[in-house]
Amino acid sequence: MSISTRSHAARRDARAALLFLAPAVLFLAAFVAYPLLTAGVLSFHSWDGVSPRQWTGLANYERLLGDRIFWGSLRNNVLVALTAIVFQVGVGMVIAYWLVRVVPRIKRFAMFVYVIPVVISEICIGLLWGFVYNPYFGLLNGFLNTVGLDELARGWLGDRSTAMPAVLVVMNLTYLGLYILLFVAAFENVDEAVYDAAAIDGAGHYRTFFSVSVPMVWSNVQATTLLAVVSSFKTFSLVYVLTRGGPNNATDVVSTYLFQAGFGNFEAGYASTIGFAQILLTAAVGVFVLGLMRRGKRGEA
Amino acid sequence: MRIRSAWRAALAAGAALVMLSACAGAGGSTDTSGGGGRTLEIWHAYAGQKDKVEFIEYALDTFKKAHPDIKVKEVSAEQSSYKTKLQTAMASGNPPDVFYTLPGGYLKAFVDSGQVLGLDDELAKQGWRDSFLESSLPSVTFGGSTYAVPIDIDAALVWYNKALFQAKGWQVPTTWPEFLDLAEKIKSAGVVPVALGNKDSWPATFWFQYAEMRMHGSGVMSGFGAGDKNATFGPEAKDAAGTLQTLAQKGYLPKGANGMSDAEANILFLNGKAAMVLNGTWQIGMSAEAPAGFELGYFPFPTFAAGKGNQSDVLAGVAASFAVSKKAKDKEAALAFLRHITSPEVMTKYVQIRKTMVARKGATTPEAAGPLLAGVVQDVIGKADTLDPFYDTAMAPKTTETYYSTLQGLIDGSITPAAASEAIENAAKAGK
Repeated sequence: MSISTRSHAARRDARAALLFLAPAVLFLAAFVAYPLLTAGVLSFHSWDGVSPRQWTGLANYERLLGDRIFWGSLRNNVLVALTAIVFQVGVGMVIAYWLVRVVPRIKRFAMFVYVIPVVISEICIGLLWGFVYNPYFGLLNGFLNTVGLDELARGWLGDRSTAMPAVLVVMNLTYLGLYILLFVAAFENVDEAVYDAAAIDGAGHYRTFFSVSVPMVWSNVQATTLLAVVSSFKTFSLVYVLTRGGPNNATDVVSTYLFQAGFGNFEAGYASTIGFAQILLTAAVGVFVLGLMRRGKRGEA
Repeated sequence: MRIRSAWRAALAAGAALVMLSACAGAGGSTDTSGGGGRTLEIWHAYAGQKDKVEFIEYALDTFKKAHPDIKVKEVSAEQSSYKTKLQTAMASGNPPDVFYTLPGGYLKAFVDSGQVLGLDDELAKQGWRDSFLESSLPSVTFGGSTYAVPIDIDAALVWYNKALFQAKGWQVPTTWPEFLDLAEKIKSAGVVPVALGNKDSWPATFWFQYAEMRMHGSGVMSGFGAGDKNATFGPEAKDAAGTLQTLAQKGYLPKGANGMSDAEANILFLNGKAAMVLNGTWQIGMSAEAPAGFELGYFPFPTFAAGKGNQSDVLAGVAASFAVSKKAKDKEAALAFLRHITSPEVMTKYVQIRKTMVARKGATTPEAAGPLLAGVVQDVIGKADTLDPFYDTAMAPKTTETYYSTLQGLIDGSITPAAASEAIENAAKAGK
């Protein structure tokens, strides 16, 4: 085969590849890139969505820097991400290990139970928990009153000091199942021979978990941690259903604040600024987390 | 085997039905062909509210019968998504011909950007303008021109559990000190005095506004809206904010009121776990599913002895209105629909269905309204000097947000009445 026919074939392949990629690229361009650019332009404007937009330069970004509600909501996002890493990725990993290695018999049933909240719509979950937290006829206060801990009963979602923790509990319990699911799949792919070797060396479950299972699925740990962090920075529906970001912005996350700015206050320009800041921050945190974990892996090896 | 395939067919049919009904229901649109070249696109936000859907369907059906030559396209959405939907349509330059709109600040934004047809000329014909209650027009009138026709009027007053009051021997209060004494009594009986579910922030506004109306006077927000430079909530705003905070601090509100929806608070009220609620006339409808033995009573908001406001004024405002877009192609058809929906026949039907007050004079008949609403109209609204529209709908959207979160802060004690009144005053000034 001569060189010219080979390069001809390669060119034909490239053309075919372009043809197959085109629909996806066009779709992304029309529905992701274009809106993103528009939002970027909009973030330098003041616009109520109706009247002509006005160029305001960096005014929106200056306002963002001094906006206490924005920083408060960002702080809540960080809280969501930190608890997600500990209680979704971390605990999910432990439970998955336990299901795969210790009690494989109940694995199917247990996974079924854990996954229920993942497949139910977040709106329903939020509404259900709203009733759990209801101070008068809710399950939680009802339970506390029954066991004689009346003084602990309170208006969970309406109290500044308990609203955010209450939201965090719901979030972590809701998404935990997803991470268990992912880690069960990952742990099951680990070669049995590795475990046998560990057993021969006299490793217990604690040692096996940290020295065998986790390092063997480290790339999964990285991916799921990134997933947890990114989704924590985008989280919206549970907060919106449970508290609307209240009381007095105490549980606002960036997305609910963005929604408020855009569709409550009709400040489309400022909402775009918030959205842009959110994208940049999420990307930065994602890169940071990945870098941290890559180093963690190297330390391990 | 046969059973299974029958099942499958049933499932498929069911799925198709669900999809069909989903299209016709919330967020859907229905084309109703009437032939001819005239078309009219009508948008409304009544989806998901049974009684209101019944009303708009009645209005549309009778309109189509009266105008068989006009092809009506109905687009319905649910209240919260409707705002976004209309906003987007307006921004993209594709507004519907006729649209449902909240009065006040929400409508004003569209008017300011020149999207809404002025109705003055049309209202002057055949005494149309005079057929509306005078108090209902200011909230749809900007710079001297009227841009929408008001549909219904909601008034806020104190509702109480009559049976509970009788059983405990509690007396209906007329003054604020009496109200506070009563609340203390109710609280010591182990009942929540006031059912306030403030998760959506609007329920608390009634308390602030009524206190402000009693102590300072009505018309503050209308002043801000009209661009009056001297408009102010006055030094009384601090005391008005204080009354709300007092209720919270003395434990007269439910625990965690800021995290409770108004529906949850209503459950407390209907089940006798809370004794009173300050709410709109829609409380009549919300009490329809109360347990047996529940009887709804009402009294006007208490008076403040040293207050500068008129002590019988009522917090009441237009809940919804319909407007015509400037870009509407067939303006005649659009105006015909506005005339139709505000006709005595359609309006009285609405009163019958929803037990609400309407803006059309004479349409809220005692027969259609039922004894409770008829009583409210006569005893409370009839004695009012001024109906002061709801601040939050009269405010610019951003001002509303500050107003809402500030009142939440008053309830949870994170802001002082002085700081709260200052924040609200500044937001109102900034929002025009």
